[in-house]
Amino acid sequence: MYAEDYTPFELMAVAGARELKDGEIVAVGIGLPVVASFLAKRTHAPRLTILFELGIVDPEPIHTGVGLADPRVWYRAKVMSSFVDMLGMVLHRGLVDVGFLGGLETDAYGNLNTTLLGDPRGTFTHSVGSGGANDIASSAKRTVIIIRHQARKLKEAVSFVTSPGYLQGGSAREAAGLRGGPVRVITDKAIFGFDPHSKRLRLESIHPRITLEDVLANMGFQPLVPDQVPVTEPPTVEQIRLIREEIDPERIYAG
Amino acid sequence: MGKLATLAEAVASIPSGTHVALSGFAITRCNMAFAREVIRQGIRGLTVSQCVGAMDADLLVGAGAVERMIYGGGSLDRFGRLNNVNRAIESGTLIAEEYSSLSVAFRYLAGALGLPFIPTRSLRGSDILARLQQIAPENIGTVQDPFTGDEWLALRPLVPDVAVVQVQVADEEGNAWIFGPRWDNEEQVKASQRVIVITEQLVPTEIIRRDPERTVIPGFKVSHVVHLPFSAHPTSVYRVYDYDAEHIREYAAATRTVEEFRAYLEKYVFGVQDHWEYLELIGGMKRLTSLMADPILGY
Repeated sequence: MYAEDYTPFELMAVAGARELKDGEIVAVGIGLPVVASFLAKRTHAPRLTILFELGIVDPEPIHTGVGLADPRVWYRAKVMSSFVDMLGMVLHRGLVDVGFLGGLETDAYGNLNTTLLGDPRGTFTHSVGSGGANDIASSAKRTVIIIRHQARKLKEAVSFVTSPGYLQGGSAREAAGLRGGPVRVITDKAIFGFDPHSKRLRLESIHPRITLEDVLANMGFQPLVPDQVPVTEPPTVEQIRLIREEIDPERIYAG
Repeated sequence: MGKLATLAEAVASIPSGTHVALSGFAITRCNMAFAREVIRQGIRGLTVSQCVGAMDADLLVGAGAVERMIYGGGSLDRFGRLNNVNRAIESGTLIAEEYSSLSVAFRYLAGALGLPFIPTRSLRGSDILARLQQIAPENIGTVQDPFTGDEWLALRPLVPDVAVVQVQVADEEGNAWIFGPRWDNEEQVKASQRVIVITEQLVPTEIIRRDPERTVIPGFKVSHVVHLPFSAHPTSVYRVYDYDAEHIREYAAATRTVEEFRAYLEKYVFGVQDHWEYLELIGGMKRLTSLMADPILGY
């Protein structure tokens, strides 16, 4: 049964969860991807393995943390190790199926910027940088980008490529020696994929109660738009219950 | 001569211009008491490295003690950004060699193993790489795989002069246990020329010998052991104490402008003689007791 009452963030978390298959290994940062991963593990993907870059596997938090450095997020982990173990011996080794990424801005080819806004050679504002994001974008089999749907965040070209998507499109990513790449961009208005040849962003579904005009008017570029665009599958009542009652009861991530 | 030292003695062993690897990660196990003492002693021109930029580095950068930072980006988690680091990058007063977490970890690993370089799949195609090729071309190269002929990006090993590591348990030789995830600490320690251990708890070597599989830092690498409870405050030490959210909020607010940060330094760094006076200033036993970790939760 589909839910009637849900927030845009909850819908994004549910859409993220649906990208994960049972038995896969997922590398996550903090925020909505955490909600998406825990939701998948409690529903259709109980054998999902969840990794955090600093050396944490499959925690079962009972309190919401402020970030990866918060021991609340490590509670009841199965492994406590290191960057070289997680980002090296699992991710760089090629074992991570899905990486979740977010950022300041992304572009028509799924390149992500978490480093700076402005002109890198002139005046700019520095943000948080890469952390493990560049590593995940470089070595995960596929990545899923979760980002707010705003023209300043969805730009034709980002001001700094922290984490490469398909670079300039076409075969540019392979030419740079990278495997994998982004498969999905999930916003609060729509879900996008990438054209298999040009690698340009392509609209895949529009969220309930959102129009195509809403989607396009709030983007800094024109994505590929197929003739028929379906409506995004809404969250189920059970998914929303799990998010609100068990995964994010303090509504820190899912709004 | 024994290795047990006061914080002031250990810090005095670090000349200006040293490369110091710091054990902090965002807001956990940061070398906060160490950073405050470095600032009080007027040590400057440091190179600071860590995989994820943390509050210890931000404090040092804000006080003008750091010339170069080698890191993979960082923040104070939800409390905010590394405002001092960011401001110094934006104004050009800090040379920021900015990588990804794994790239810095790999550079430490190569240093720890005594390898001449380490190939990596990270950074390729990114502007991080383009910027590093401008700022630090001496640390970035390419190498051909002798077996397949493939071209790889290669990084120079990182060999810090000293690693300063905040741990839960150590003995007077410096054999130390780290509880919880260790992020880059083991590779930092093993890459560095020497190590300063700052420990919450000092135990007899007999305790270390009973559970030697827990030892992450071997005593033979350690030059100084400083026994200093609550030395990571206001950041957390897993299984010992939680982060002090109120103080980190105050810090994040104070780092928004140079003037406000100067006032913060006057109060919490220059306004006290040492760590013990600092602990009194932030509320003494009453405050610290409220931060003690629950033994089951670890925070």
